[in-house]
Amino acid sequence: MKTVKSPFKFKGGVHPDYNKELARDMPIERLPLPGELVISMSQHLGAPAKCIVKAGDEVKRGQVIGEKNGFISVLVRASADGKVKAVEKRLGPAGSSADAVILETVPPEDNNPAPILPPLDWKTATREELLKRVEEAGICGMGGAGFPTSVKLNPPPGKRCEYLVLNGAECEPYLTADFRVMLERADRIRVGVEIMRKILGMCAVRIAIEDNKPEAITAMEKAFADIEGNVEIVRLPVLYPQGSEKHQIYATVGRIVPEPPALPIDVGCVVENVGTVAAIADAVEKGEPLLERVTTVSGDAVATPKNILAPSGTKYSDLVAFCGGEKEHPAKIISGGTMMGFAVSSLDIATTKTTSGLLLLSSRKVFQYGSQACINCGRCLRACPMNLNPAEISKAVEADDIKTAENAHVMTCIECGACSFGCPAYRTITQFCRRAKASIRARMAAERAAAAAAKAAEDAKKEAK
Amino acid sequence: MSYYLMILVGAVLVNNFVLSRFLGCCPFLGVSKKTETALGMSGAVVFVMTIASAVTWMLDHWLLTPNNLGYIHTLAFILVIAALVQFIDIAMKRFLPPLHAALGIFLPLITTNCAVLGAAEINCKQGTGFFEAVFFSFAAAIGFGFALVIFSGIREKLAHANPPRCFRGIALALVTGGLLSLAFMGFSGLVKLPY
Amino acid sequence: MIIAIVCIAGIGLVAAVALALADRYLAVKEDPRIGMVTAVLPGANCGGCGFAGCDAYARALVAGTAPNGACAAGGDACAAEVAKILGVAATATEKRVALVKCCGTRSEAIRVGDYNGICDCATAAMTAGGDKGCKFGCLGYGACANVCPKNAITIHDGLAKVDKRLCIGCGKCVKACPKNLIELVPASATIHVLCNNPVRGPEVRKVCGVGCMGCHLCEKNSGGKEAGHFTFQGFLAKVNYENPPTDATIVSKCPAKCMIEDPHFETGH
Repeated sequence: MKTVKSPFKFKGGVHPDYNKELARDMPIERLPLPGELVISMSQHLGAPAKCIVKAGDEVKRGQVIGEKNGFISVLVRASADGKVKAVEKRLGPAGSSADAVILETVPPEDNNPAPILPPLDWKTATREELLKRVEEAGICGMGGAGFPTSVKLNPPPGKRCEYLVLNGAECEPYLTADFRVMLERADRIRVGVEIMRKILGMCAVRIAIEDNKPEAITAMEKAFADIEGNVEIVRLPVLYPQGSEKHQIYATVGRIVPEPPALPIDVGCVVENVGTVAAIADAVEKGEPLLERVTTVSGDAVATPKNILAPSGTKYSDLVAFCGGEKEHPAKIISGGTMMGFAVSSLDIATTKTTSGLLLLSSRKVFQYGSQACINCGRCLRACPMNLNPAEISKAVEADDIKTAENAHVMTCIECGACSFGCPAYRTITQFCRRAKASIRARMAAERAAAAAAKAAEDAKKEAK
Repeated sequence: MSYYLMILVGAVLVNNFVLSRFLGCCPFLGVSKKTETALGMSGAVVFVMTIASAVTWMLDHWLLTPNNLGYIHTLAFILVIAALVQFIDIAMKRFLPPLHAALGIFLPLITTNCAVLGAAEINCKQGTGFFEAVFFSFAAAIGFGFALVIFSGIREKLAHANPPRCFRGIALALVTGGLLSLAFMGFSGLVKLPY
Repeated sequence: MIIAIVCIAGIGLVAAVALALADRYLAVKEDPRIGMVTAVLPGANCGGCGFAGCDAYARALVAGTAPNGACAAGGDACAAEVAKILGVAATATEKRVALVKCCGTRSEAIRVGDYNGICDCATAAMTAGGDKGCKFGCLGYGACANVCPKNAITIHDGLAKVDKRLCIGCGKCVKACPKNLIELVPASATIHVLCNNPVRGPEVRKVCGVGCMGCHLCEKNSGGKEAGHFTFQGFLAKVNYENPPTDATIVSKCPAKCMIEDPHFETGH
């Protein structure tokens, strides 16, 4: 085990104000069980889970309430004991509504309940057992997108994982949840890595941490001091978006993930957030599914910023109340970090497995602007970490020319927000990219559906003959 | 060889059909909205112009000039070129469907195109030999395509711009065409040729 | 002089014979009906039929892969013409027009945030579901107006309105609306419910002054459940356009004020 400086630096990137000092020294605190949980069936990337409970049902903590619905899907478990009040559509942080189970919680009868899943000894368990456990525990990537971890850990035949990259960069401003997890749960991360190496085969491990978190680097060095095999802690320069999967792979092992639909596994890499790794350790050793996560509640409009361990489905209002409420009226509420997070319009939204932060910003921190005409300064080209031409894309989308945007490879855009961040004309470039991507995806889905329908019609014709 | 190279440079850059001689302005403005269609149109023009100049050269040298009928060649050329384009359209549809799919919709546009007629006229005025005449027409058509593709590229960018209301659409295209023409003036004196 | 005339006439004759022969022997056979059908279609290339334009629809019609009557712009007359050419019966279509099922103007429906991103409904809807308090209502950023081939949709006071006279019922706006609140309704129907929010009355009232609360009064006033003029989805009344109500007095009796008699915005300018 050794610590190295990152040998590769990607092109582009920006330096936003990090403001991490607000919550970085706050130890993880457990939220008292809220009276009501809103557990969304759409917790992650991919198909939403299928709800299998109805209003009036009594559920136990850890009970499956949403079943997997397709390959890229994760099951959902109740994160507390309680009674289902209703199952209805609720707005999620990303602005789309999905079925959600409204749970009226009751305090647990037993302070030391039996484990939800039988604990496994990872040293003796088989690969299949471990993989099944990850799936049963409903674990998905806790960094942001929420890709189902069991899918990531099970590479398709012919592809092998050579590098396991642990993402501890946490390059988003304000957020300190991963940082606290690395400090306080370093031993769990260590166990998680061993389990993942058992599942993926004895691959090399790279733990990527940004330079501005020396305490986390020390904690990791201590935890991994005696680990076998090719393990390195890679110190990354402070640069946004260092935490992006693709850039992390480049920064640690120097490989470039091709355009979508290629995945990191195509270049022999698996990237996991440190929180996810700790969750895997808990799922295997303690039999504890992924029911709660650490969320940073920060911003200058919060009384005391905190890192809170809260069951998934906790309403934002409960989180804010636990932090002592609002210091002043927030001008903007962001679910996630300031760069990639989603602005929400009320605190009546609940956390999911991927909610890494909740920011309440006062009017001093929020800049109201209107998008203006591009002045062709090229600042976004320099900032774009994906080597795109955001100026051209944004202008094309503004003129409703999605085709040009597609030819300019808008689908490779990771929506990091670096282009909008520095734009002197205050153009909402990232939003233009998002819009182009949404309409391209919609068109692709329509084409797929049309092709499927045509094929079905042909099959029916053949059968009729 | 260098003579043919001079013809090429002269016809493409110095005396560009569209930007210096102002021939073929109609398709230059009409089909320059997209680079794809501009390329298709250029292909069709190269094809028709080369064949048309060969046919008109033969007509001029073997039928009209021997009979002292030089004064009706414009009339005869129009007739022959129009019939020829129609014939190519029909034949291409039958024998070369993929090429017809790519160029077909532009062929009728060329039927009475002044660039095609202009090339034939210039050839018979200069009294050049057959191969020179055909090569000149070919080069002139390449020049036409060159200008068209450059212009369409600019217009694609202009489509994303947000100009004042009075400039929108064809007005801005005309201004751009004028500027492009000015730019091509810079090539004058590059080679000295009768064309 | 004579030679010139003979020459031009000769060239003309040769060209004519060549073209005639080419047309006779080199022509590619194409169903003549395609041209005839294209001629009777409106030629607006609106794409409302689901094909890439009138020519593509004509080809599909001749090939028998498209139903006759899918052209809303041409209407019955066009379908009848096509049927005459193809020798098949036309499916009767009634003229349909788009209806925006929301009447929450800026003064009636609250806005919960300041949205200053791209002026486009789909993008606004991706940002916390839009800035409107009601998550089912019209955002008023004009995605429908942008796709309308006839400029029949205008945005007034944060709300899209359809001009019934201009609408050809192509359905492009229906697809463009991220809130799915535009519906194609028979042009003859005059009484409509302008709300799309199926949640409980008190919840609706929190965000909109003119939202349907599902009180069933419209149903009661129009002859009860048996009359079948209305259907209900959650706490939202919907006009049954198979059997639309005709009694205009029920409109004024709606306590939520979300019912309107012929709401189609007639442009006066």
